Amino acid sequence: MPMTLFKCDTIIPEREKHCYIKAPGEDTTQFLPASNVATIPGTLSERGCSYCGAKLVIGGVLKDTIQMIHGPVGCAYDTWHTKRYPSDNDNFQLKYVWSTGIKEKHVVFGAEKQLKKCVLEAFDAMPGIKRMIIYTTCTTALIGDDPKAVAETVMKERPEVDIFVVQCPGFAGVSQSKGHHVLNIGWINQKVGTLEPKITGKYTINFIGDYNIQGDTYLVEKYITRMGIQIMSHFTGNATYDELRTMHRAQLNVVNCARSAGYIANELKKQYGIPRLDIDSWGFGYMAEGLRKIGGFFGLEKEAEAVIADEYALWKPKLDWYKAKLTGKKMCIWTGGPRLWHWTRAVEDDLGIEVVAMSSKFGHQEDFEKVIARGRVGTIYIDDANELEFFEVIDMMKPDVIFTGPRVGELVKKLHIPYINGHAYHNGPYMGFEGFVNLARDTYNAVSSPLWKLAAGDIRGKGVLTGLESKPGMEAAA
Amino acid sequence: MSERAEELVTYIQEHCLWQFFSRSWDRDENIEGILTRAGELLTGEPFVMETQADKCWQAEAGILVAEFKARMPWIAAATREEITGIIAEVKGRMKEITVEKSRNEELRVKNY
Repeated sequence: MPMTLFKCDTIIPEREKHCYIKAPGEDTTQFLPASNVATIPGTLSERGCSYCGAKLVIGGVLKDTIQMIHGPVGCAYDTWHTKRYPSDNDNFQLKYVWSTGIKEKHVVFGAEKQLKKCVLEAFDAMPGIKRMIIYTTCTTALIGDDPKAVAETVMKERPEVDIFVVQCPGFAGVSQSKGHHVLNIGWINQKVGTLEPKITGKYTINFIGDYNIQGDTYLVEKYITRMGIQIMSHFTGNATYDELRTMHRAQLNVVNCARSAGYIANELKKQYGIPRLDIDSWGFGYMAEGLRKIGGFFGLEKEAEAVIADEYALWKPKLDWYKAKLTGKKMCIWTGGPRLWHWTRAVEDDLGIEVVAMSSKFGHQEDFEKVIARGRVGTIYIDDANELEFFEVIDMMKPDVIFTGPRVGELVKKLHIPYINGHAYHNGPYMGFEGFVNLARDTYNAVSSPLWKLAAGDIRGKGVLTGLESKPGMEAAA
Repeated sequence: MSERAEELVTYIQEHCLWQFFSRSWDRDENIEGILTRAGELLTGEPFVMETQADKCWQAEAGILVAEFKARMPWIAAATREEITGIIAEVKGRMKEITVEKSRNEELRVKNY
């Protein structure tokens, strides 16, 4: 089947090139959704802004760094602790939020003085912290502030501090993805190579594109450390600012999230000759394969097998218990981009779940090449899906569970379909062997809960609420 | 393309991330490096690992060959010439899908 125009998109036919249903015998040379392009006016996008991609996803994870948001307070608040990435220093990065609190007077007269005042105030208030990232936002970019000049002045006045400036206002790109890009390229060009690492072992890697969501990093680090490998830098789960300055010294870049951090891995290869090895860290089969590949690179095959054997002995029986319960269930994955291709075969192979629809907010065509190659025939693949498309997909595919974010999750809950937080998880971590059992448990609990049917009942005796009663454009279904 | 080469291509398409690196030159390099090494592993030809990239391709090829052997019993009985021919076919098809006929508009963007 070629690209598909959903009924709800009749008045925005441009959406057809973003929606694809895979037919037998087709491959990505025939059909590939348009992606990483501007959202069509009139469609109710679920995307985030470019600043958010830099701050919330990557920079804000750092555990020893002040995140100075140069803009109105909302830009800071809305990217603060909505994603749960803990750290082993009492969650410094989740406890605090910093903003220059831009007001109208700053828009009129300029906000550089305000920025400098706030930077100094923040360092003075937290004397133990010597590292900072400054982010521009739409407002301060539009008025032409020069945060780099401010940062340089402060670093001259206080040589003990180091500041990195991310100039990626919300409007810089079509989605979060631009923020990933700007931060990656800025960091490699300005900060990598400015500090030498302490190398403690024979084998060293950078683990790129893990953000320690509910402790993901702790699990994967445990496996790799047990193999005798030093992780010099995590980009950026549970990481420090300074460890990311030493990335040039690792022997291998192991990449998990190729969308948000593939850029820095590519540049490390180009500029420093460090090879890039991509792995999937979710799922038993994938995690085992990833460890085997890392082991193969260093000649640590036996060490990898020992870790895999231990973890399988601990967790595989639990996974199998859930697989027996979940086989044949239908899932939608409506997340950012990479989790579509990381998860579609992992849940199918390890848990017997069929992924019937996938939607990406900020994936590029590279991500759609991956997910269409891995995904099932008959599955729906959508770029930058809108709310009405979600409703139509639900009607078409009748999923048992939907992995998505809290915004779409609220919509889904009103239809009495269980949703799992596909970004920050329900009860993670979800990476690694133990993590995938957690994912299986949350999925099983979601699809088995009687709550969904109970919530649909109308205690006034008026039958069953479908959740579709007042949804525009869906009167027939209601 | 032969049925056997098609089997290998299908496996690679469904499993391997290295075929979908960011740019055309990365994909070309991976297809050439990993599949050449896979062919050498399957035919028992000696090879030298000189660079870090060689080690990376060896790690990927090692996994690939183990999976091929486990899933496709005909590989064990194939002759050296047959393997060489099949790997050449697979390389050609992989380049066709992921580079030459790819619809990915970012594939030839100069910068990462």
